[in-house]
Amino acid sequence: MAASVRLLFRRISRLSHRNINSTADSFSRRPGCCFGPFSSRCISDAAEDRNTHFGFETVPEAEKAKRVYKVFENVAEKYDIMNDAMSLGIHRLWKDMLLHVMHPQPGARLLDVAGGTGDISFRFLDYVYHQQERQKRRALGSSQTLSWQDISEKYPAEDAPHESSSVVCDINKEMLKVGKQRADSMGITSGLSWVVGDAEELPFDDDQFDIYTIAFGIRNVTHIDQALQEAFRVLKPGGRFMCLEFSKVTNPVLARLYDAYSFQVIPVLGEVIAGDWKSYQYLVESIRNFPDQEEFKGMIEDAGFCSVQYFNFTGGVVALHSGFKL
Amino acid sequence: MLRNVLSRLVTESVRVHHHVNPAPFKLTLTACRGSVRNFAEVKDEVQTPFNSTLLEVLVCPLSKKPLRYDADTNELINEELGIAYPIVDGIPNMIPQEARLLQKEEPSPSKPAE
Repeated sequence: MAASVRLLFRRISRLSHRNINSTADSFSRRPGCCFGPFSSRCISDAAEDRNTHFGFETVPEAEKAKRVYKVFENVAEKYDIMNDAMSLGIHRLWKDMLLHVMHPQPGARLLDVAGGTGDISFRFLDYVYHQQERQKRRALGSSQTLSWQDISEKYPAEDAPHESSSVVCDINKEMLKVGKQRADSMGITSGLSWVVGDAEELPFDDDQFDIYTIAFGIRNVTHIDQALQEAFRVLKPGGRFMCLEFSKVTNPVLARLYDAYSFQVIPVLGEVIAGDWKSYQYLVESIRNFPDQEEFKGMIEDAGFCSVQYFNFTGGVVALHSGFKL
Repeated sequence: MLRNVLSRLVTESVRVHHHVNPAPFKLTLTACRGSVRNFAEVKDEVQTPFNSTLLEVLVCPLSKKPLRYDADTNELINEELGIAYPIVDGIPNMIPQEARLLQKEEPSPSKPAE
């Protein structure tokens, strides 16, 4: 409401400056809504004044990306520890739920955007590996009455386990470095790739991936609709978009507790553990600025996804949105 | 997960410097990291910085055209626009603003809207 009034005011001042009389009538008739020819001119002029939110601050759009980068550069080393401390380990459950809902099949290709330290990708590879084991066991189980030759023929080809792959894409090099170190220490050698890239401008060709995930990253993107359009582009037809993000808590009691916890406890933890109060202040503020479940669902549908649905976890603290490219 | 925690405890209490095997135990110790980074660098030079599947999937974020890998400068080159994306620590950096202009009069790689 305030934004449209501000836009109105700017338009009035600009129009009076240019002395265009004919618009005055149409203007008085439809106060508050954007109309075709004039809005485009006005918006192109307003591009340099366009602001966005960085937490509760208002910053120019060009600034936001830089500031978000700084935040994650600062917290990269302690990111995983902080996640455990802030969510009391519950973030692991949320991510496990994401994988559970995703239920990837062996051979699937995942694009893990804002994947940072690789949590989702590691779980994905693990899940697919166990799926494969289970399927193998089931296949062998059904062949108990066969001869040895027949059983050995049933063994899947050696390269099948390596078909599933995951590409971790993040705009921040530091986060990827931490993730790569984790992968090396876990001994993961194949099926995982790391790319520095911008979610609004993905360096991937069209129709490449089976699954696109973005976990706790989309609220940091300056132009969410562009990120959604890119997601639509790189997914194969039939591909699934999945977004895990903090969202609105519906229950009022829980909401009060959550707010108190967010604003009193989390920045303090940030200071104590990571030595960075401001980044975690940004974190909790950015959560408040993100659209709620229904609004975000609308944005995903606008990008072209079908069968969009969301699941609330922990009473709405986190929501998993899912859509398909059909 | 639990194994990692235990291994971290073990390394932090024992202060392993000569643990040459980089795979399981090298998580957060800076002292350890020195010796292990050499190992990782050697590994990087021996193997290609990224596997071929990634090269098939990667395109220039601006023009969405395929890229050419240049082993000498360790960059991914877009001939058409005349820009080169660096590869740092085996991770290709596909941010347009960080790409290097090759020595031609091509349009600047940075996008104003970003």
